[in-house]
Amino acid sequence: MERLIIVVAVLPLISALLIQLFAGRIGRGIARLSVVFTTLSFILSCVLLALALMGSEIQTFSLGSSVSVLLFDPLSILLATIILGISLIVHLYSVRYMAEEAAYGQFFVLLDLMTAALLFMVLAGDLITLVISWYLVGIVLYFLLGQDTRSQTAYRFAFWTLITYRIGDIPLILAAALLYNAYDTWSLTVIFDAIMANPDAHQVLGLPLTQVVAGLIGLSAFARSAQFLLHTWLPYTMDGPTPVSALMHAGIVNAGGFLINRFAPVFIHSGDVLNWIFIVGLVTAIFGSLLMLTQNDIKKALGYSTMGQMGFMIMECGVGAFSLAIYHMFAHGIFKGTMFLSAGGVINQARQDDGVPKDELYTFAVEKQPNKASQPWLLMAAVTLAVPLVILIFSHLLISQDYFHKQGAIVLLFFGWVTGAQLIFATYRMRAQNIWRLVGLSILSLLVVVLGYVFISHAFDLFLYPDPEFRAQLYQAATIDILRFDVLVAFVALTVVLGWVITYFGERSGYHRRQKSKRLWLNFYALISREFYVTDIYTRLTRLILSISSRLNVWLRWI
Amino acid sequence: MPDLLTTLLAGIFLPLFPMSMVFNAILDKVKYNWLRALLFLGWPLVGLLILQNSNPEMPDWVLILALTTSFLYALRMLTLREVNQWSGFLATSLWGLLWLPVIQGVSAELLYWFAISMSIPLVLMVFLSAGLEKRFGAAYTGLYGGLARTIPRYSGVLVTVVVAATATPLFPTFFIMLDMVVETISNKPVAALALLLIWLLWSWAGARLIQGLIVGRASKFKVVDMNINAISFYSIVLIALLASGVYLSGVIL
Repeated sequence: MERLIIVVAVLPLISALLIQLFAGRIGRGIARLSVVFTTLSFILSCVLLALALMGSEIQTFSLGSSVSVLLFDPLSILLATIILGISLIVHLYSVRYMAEEAAYGQFFVLLDLMTAALLFMVLAGDLITLVISWYLVGIVLYFLLGQDTRSQTAYRFAFWTLITYRIGDIPLILAAALLYNAYDTWSLTVIFDAIMANPDAHQVLGLPLTQVVAGLIGLSAFARSAQFLLHTWLPYTMDGPTPVSALMHAGIVNAGGFLINRFAPVFIHSGDVLNWIFIVGLVTAIFGSLLMLTQNDIKKALGYSTMGQMGFMIMECGVGAFSLAIYHMFAHGIFKGTMFLSAGGVINQARQDDGVPKDELYTFAVEKQPNKASQPWLLMAAVTLAVPLVILIFSHLLISQDYFHKQGAIVLLFFGWVTGAQLIFATYRMRAQNIWRLVGLSILSLLVVVLGYVFISHAFDLFLYPDPEFRAQLYQAATIDILRFDVLVAFVALTVVLGWVITYFGERSGYHRRQKSKRLWLNFYALISREFYVTDIYTRLTRLILSISSRLNVWLRWI
Repeated sequence: MPDLLTTLLAGIFLPLFPMSMVFNAILDKVKYNWLRALLFLGWPLVGLLILQNSNPEMPDWVLILALTTSFLYALRMLTLREVNQWSGFLATSLWGLLWLPVIQGVSAELLYWFAISMSIPLVLMVFLSAGLEKRFGAAYTGLYGGLARTIPRYSGVLVTVVVAATATPLFPTFFIMLDMVVETISNKPVAALALLLIWLLWSWAGARLIQGLIVGRASKFKVVDMNINAISFYSIVLIALLASGVYLSGVIL
């Protein structure tokens, strides 16, 4: 029965081939053909997911050689089902949305090819299949984003995506080559078994192989999941068709989280690579969220929002909460896909009526008018300060010296709760002044986070990593020493407090700042509005390379 | 000394800079498409034949020069606008890398296979370039643009051939490159990195070529799109290349 996984992966390919061959004869009916094949594949993947949930064994299926193997395990089948679910929604949406496009058939061919590439990526049982599908996702995405061949802009930004993805291919290929040289096999399961049995068997340039490979896999994941400095492609690729944006933000961009999960046995023995992954995720989450707030284009704001979410997802991997990252991927995929697919409708509606109520939130956020009451602010400041302190005190004194820094995910979620609760405080407070309701909401948010973490994360943990020892090893691998942990918590706590203090005084003075601080603020705003000059630096660098290329051609007389 | 002379002579055909300029100068002068196609197919084979017959001792600098040559031409491809020149530079960059398997002692049969697999997409490029010259009078990127709207079938084939030529899966060059990286990563990690960088430049150059040719509004000129017979020909060759790539993966990986 599990062998059906081959059919699941191959169906979109057959659909693409049929559309290519018969597009001329069946005209616009090709969309229906594509939808039928995707539905069929989705149903089969659901059946296989049910089998996996019932405890079906991990199996591999060869497609004819040792370098084309599909893997049936909980991670692969869960992600295949998610991909097919999102792809099906995108297919259904595209049937009418793309109807006016000249290359209607070609769009569905590419959509099916993309679905197939993503499926092969998550189902890959060997390094070659993984590298090929990883590479092809970038290529197919380039053409999907450049669907409108009249638009130079669409192609310009599609190229940004392509080149970032290609840069991300390099570390993956290096990692695959290193693993093959060390273990003399392309099979992922064989390599992982060997690593689990003897993690320190191989060295590269004086470093443990697992550490080098984990670092390379991390780099590859960063490029695919738009981590800071490799993120510029994500918010700019909005000239592509909306269904492609939805597929990209709901599915493709999550590939980094998948890759880290796939190589979980390597990350267990990766030294402090997970700590670095955490830091990159943290920086991305902060920068992504900050940039999202300054956008005036709904799709670009969604792009930066995705970047922030990807930062969180990578952070979760960095604290050892691998299965939580998969849940995040799933939840964010559904959420962001819906937002993209409804973005057009929202824009259309907003053209008729902006729908923004002229309430206190409006006067504060848009008109920059001060609010009067200060009591909830003090309460918020107290909560902001108290929660990190309580965490520290409890972790060090009452529970155990190392409990919380082993369970970094919980700490992360607590801080997530603090931020979320404060947002609810702030937003709600400006709408009504009911302090008890405020406190009630904040406690509710805590319950949602804690229960959500306990139940959902535990369920995903049990399904994806059923071995408790393996799970413990994952958290252990993400452990940081007590001093660094304390410094990190103190830093985050101080940043949050500082943010609130600034907001508080800003609100009290109604943003009528002194000249000096106003200039400082404007400079900061300019920095954010230029997106920290990252794109400008890349553009300069590109021009420099092209200028060198051109000069070389002139000097060497074009031969 | 004879070893050095043989290596230098082979360096004309398996391009080593500055001998690499010979091929591009000849390609520039040749006006017949069939001769260009023949040059693309035969040039690296001559180099391999020379090496096979003389079996010279390879000095260490050959690998460095081969990688430098390949990198140089990959970099120079970025700003080329003429399709024939672009194909010539890509050929130089690709064939330069054949020194790696030669140094590693890969069998002669496999080396010929590598060379032919690398050259076939370039031969297709020659015919496609000729088609552009016939329709528009020149095969320059950015000169007319919008081919995807003007001649969509032709553009589809052109894009696929560029993708095949720039070592994209599942075409043979992809597996050859992968094999080279695998073979060099342990002993010469810097060479493996250089290979990947060159590969990246090919993708960049390919994207620039595609964008310069197919993107934009439809041309005002009325030109005929590719006919079914031609499409069938290109499709068969490309499918054969794909099949050969898949087969090659089983042989070398």
